[in-house]
Amino acid sequence: MSAPTLARSGDLTATPNEPGRESRRERRRRERLEEQDANIPVQLYGLKRGTVTGITALCVLFAIFTLAPVAWILINSTKSQAGIFQSFGFWFARPFQFFHNFSLLFQNTDSGTYFQWFGNTLLYAALGGGGATLLAGLAGYGFARFKFRGSKAFFYITVGALLVPVAAITLPLYLVYAKAHLINSIWGMILPSLVSPVGVYLMRTYVDLSVPRELLDAARIDGAGEVRIFVKVALPLMVPGLMTVLLISVVAVWNNYFLPLIIFTRNTLYPLTVGLGVWSQTAERSGGNSDLYPMVVMGGLVTIVPMIALFLVLQRYWRGGMLLGSIAN
Amino acid sequence: MSAVSLEGLTKVYATGVKAVDALDLNVEKGEFVVLVGPSGCGKTTALRMVAGLEGITSGTLRFGDRVVNDVSPRHRDVAMVFQNYALYPHLTVAQNIGFSLENKKVPRPERDRRVRDAAGILGLSDLLKRTPRQLSGGQRQRVAMGRAIVREPAVFLMDEPLSNLDAKLRVQMRAEVLRVHRRINATTLYVTHDQTEAMTMGDRVAVLRSGQLQQYGSPRDLYDHPANLFVASFIGSPAMNLFEAALEESGDGTVLVLGSQRITLRAGGGTRGGPASGAPASGAPASGGPMNEGPASGAPASGGLAAYHGRKVVVGIRPEDLGDPAVGGGSREGGTSAGGHASHAHATLAADTRLVEMLGSEKHVFFSIDATPVRAEGVAVEAANEDTATSGILAGAAPNGVARLDPRSSIDAGTRVRFTVDTERLHFFDADTHQAIQTTAC
Amino acid sequence: MVVFGLFTVVPILYAIYESLFTSRIIGGTVFAGFGNYSQVLSSGPFWGGFIRVIIFGAIQIPVMLVIAFFFATVFDLGVARWGPTFRTIFFIPFAVPVVVAAIMWGFLLEPTNGPVTHLANLFGFGGTNFLSSGLILPSIILIAIWEWTGYNSIILYTALKSVPRDMVEAAILDDTPLWKIIVRIKLPMVRPAIVMLIFLNSIGALQLFVEPQILLYQGGAITNTWTPIIDVYNTSIANAQYNLGAAMAVVIALVITVISVGSMAFRRRRGELA
Repeated sequence: MSAPTLARSGDLTATPNEPGRESRRERRRRERLEEQDANIPVQLYGLKRGTVTGITALCVLFAIFTLAPVAWILINSTKSQAGIFQSFGFWFARPFQFFHNFSLLFQNTDSGTYFQWFGNTLLYAALGGGGATLLAGLAGYGFARFKFRGSKAFFYITVGALLVPVAAITLPLYLVYAKAHLINSIWGMILPSLVSPVGVYLMRTYVDLSVPRELLDAARIDGAGEVRIFVKVALPLMVPGLMTVLLISVVAVWNNYFLPLIIFTRNTLYPLTVGLGVWSQTAERSGGNSDLYPMVVMGGLVTIVPMIALFLVLQRYWRGGMLLGSIAN
Repeated sequence: MSAVSLEGLTKVYATGVKAVDALDLNVEKGEFVVLVGPSGCGKTTALRMVAGLEGITSGTLRFGDRVVNDVSPRHRDVAMVFQNYALYPHLTVAQNIGFSLENKKVPRPERDRRVRDAAGILGLSDLLKRTPRQLSGGQRQRVAMGRAIVREPAVFLMDEPLSNLDAKLRVQMRAEVLRVHRRINATTLYVTHDQTEAMTMGDRVAVLRSGQLQQYGSPRDLYDHPANLFVASFIGSPAMNLFEAALEESGDGTVLVLGSQRITLRAGGGTRGGPASGAPASGAPASGGPMNEGPASGAPASGGLAAYHGRKVVVGIRPEDLGDPAVGGGSREGGTSAGGHASHAHATLAADTRLVEMLGSEKHVFFSIDATPVRAEGVAVEAANEDTATSGILAGAAPNGVARLDPRSSIDAGTRVRFTVDTERLHFFDADTHQAIQTTAC
Repeated sequence: MVVFGLFTVVPILYAIYESLFTSRIIGGTVFAGFGNYSQVLSSGPFWGGFIRVIIFGAIQIPVMLVIAFFFATVFDLGVARWGPTFRTIFFIPFAVPVVVAAIMWGFLLEPTNGPVTHLANLFGFGGTNFLSSGLILPSIILIAIWEWTGYNSIILYTALKSVPRDMVEAAILDDTPLWKIIVRIKLPMVRPAIVMLIFLNSIGALQLFVEPQILLYQGGAITNTWTPIIDVYNTSIANAQYNLGAAMAVVIALVITVISVGSMAFRRRRGELA
């Protein structure tokens, strides 16, 4: 579909320097230029002068809107409780107690310890998100490259799980868990997280596009076993897709609130979302008589920093068309 | 004054890639000009520059006497048929064709009339209410053409419109495109990588390679007088046989040394080679530029070969210029040696045949001689060792040449034969510059 | 062959897990009998909550999609400077857990010292309480828009980019004005993506829980049947009426599933489903 388009700008693949020795910066620059070349030049749209500036201004406004809460939490994590409620929200105030607030997170409160929640969240995200990625990869590969009876039906069932209103069935799930003794078990949190219909869908599409059947057939003719083929031939080709699925799966687990809220009654098992929620509610309920506020703010900050960092580092995996293009299609 | 003229048109991308390099071309009103070349040669880029979809880095583009470098593609009055048709999937055929007229606020009744007319010319009248999804490839292509012609633009651009069709349909559509062209007499620039399309459709053909124009002339011109090695091997199928050779002086004539064989050429170096310098043989109006002449080899028009005596050259022999002496010469002459062709000097070439393909209308004989074959880019090829796998099958060394013979020839594989060689039609190229060597032509 | 089995087993396990899970859930509450169901279905506040989330969705989703489509188009056309940077910035809320988002906005909207309240005062809307029962719903709508616009706009952006370039070029050669290119060419081609998004967002909107739950104690505007899921939560956890809560959950699930399946059938009939 768009193949001729890209061929145009790369009509003559002259590499100015030796190929393969591009530094990361050079490569990024080249990719950016290629991306520009691949888009229709703006002048062709016949816009009035100043349109670009106007639209950029709108973007800036929305960016401010988007970043405001993040800026707020960053700034206010340095304040004392009084500071939070009395000083101007978007600027600093004396005393500056960023590190003090940070240390507060280490103490045990009635509702639990922050860093224990952090560790829990890491655990659930790693096992749940990582496991989901693995399973999605296996299932995607299975659905894409193997024909077996009813494969289409199973696929639709799996993807159909998207339709399941998760929050609505969480309570019934709790009741099921109660019978299965899964209340207050980390597996109760991890197992449901392993099932990612979005992940399976994405991986199947990705495998379809990136793992040529001929390659697998050639390997089979050469006598390699299926596992070996998967590990040595298919898996390396699937990596970008897997990274994308990993990103969404980990985010989904990290941000999950309702499930752990229902199934965990012991606060030592809470992930960060539930823990923070409890703190926040406790603080509000006592109407300013507790001194939890700085902890809530600082806790919130520490919760979002890893995810944002992960996002920025793994940008290429959610920028790429694959991620959400497949959902959109 | 040409309808479209490209003067030194160059395109360099931000990444430093030079897609088109100083292209000089003109298209007369109503002419059908084909841009042909291998993938990546810049032909599509050049087309898009004419459309205005690519910016021009340097050079001048004129429509008539108007410089249009900076004119937006919206206002150039140019219509384009894309390789993938670019039809709007959610609109009917009628709406697709009429889309541009909507933009120009043409009133409904007139719009409908023009759409119906265009559909009529293209045989789409029954399909006006269908959507592209319900059409075959050939039909979609015609809708794309309809969309272009309904605008009655000054210039028509076509970007490999037949590439996505299967072979049989392509042949049919070639005729269609030409029929429509004749009907509306539009100035057309047509891009393709298929040299057959170029040769059969173009009034004039421009061969491009790596962004540079190799030769521009009528199909006849390109075939009979290729300006360089690339054009010689690109045009014509099966491709021209090219070998390393040497020329020697002999009396007042020239002898071609090809492997271990010596072939006498007519005295005065009167064999043909290189395009006619300044000759209007091609029928195209002289553009004044250097493109219609041969290479600037500096060799004098007559006895051009004399300058190469004692030097290495590349000799080109078209497969149809080799013949079976038993069947009266090359397949092109057909018939018996009625003696009427005595004026063509026929030398002979000894060769070992390797493989024979009987096509019915002609016979292709693959042979090898002990000369070094030359690839289009001018790279000499290692002989026999290249393909040990086939050597057994092909009874000896791999073939390095092919001859097109009269179908009545009874030459077989694995024999030693002598082909007749029409020395008047030999082509010669400078071994270093790859340019054709000029000789007296007429 | 044995290993072939491995790859088929995993997907099958998946599907089985799903169905098992779902059927046990439905099955697991039958023992309570239908008494609970009739109680749920006749409960005024329950349906009141339902209506509330429907209103919530009806406002939040279109507004958010319009903004998302606007920016997606802007990025696709490249009519803003520093497009890639803005794309990244807009996507950041996706990395923020809803709990934290609610907490942050709770502070921003604080009637006493929240910056948004200050801003409102500046514009002459002195003394507004964003967390009061009058304004709490719009406030939550605002929060939801903040959370989801970036994500939606990335999806729309990707869909827009998959519109073949030569289609737009053909339109340009025909001198089609920009608005027409967007509305008559690009928009129809991304309709499947838009429909899918409306669908996904609706399912999410109907299950609204976290934001109001976090803001529960601020301003007192949130009742304990404010949304259907809140109702479920309170019924089950707070009041320990598990069976009633389960019945409630099943009703909600059924309603949502009916809507989902209905719209999928609708899409299939229009030939849009892969």
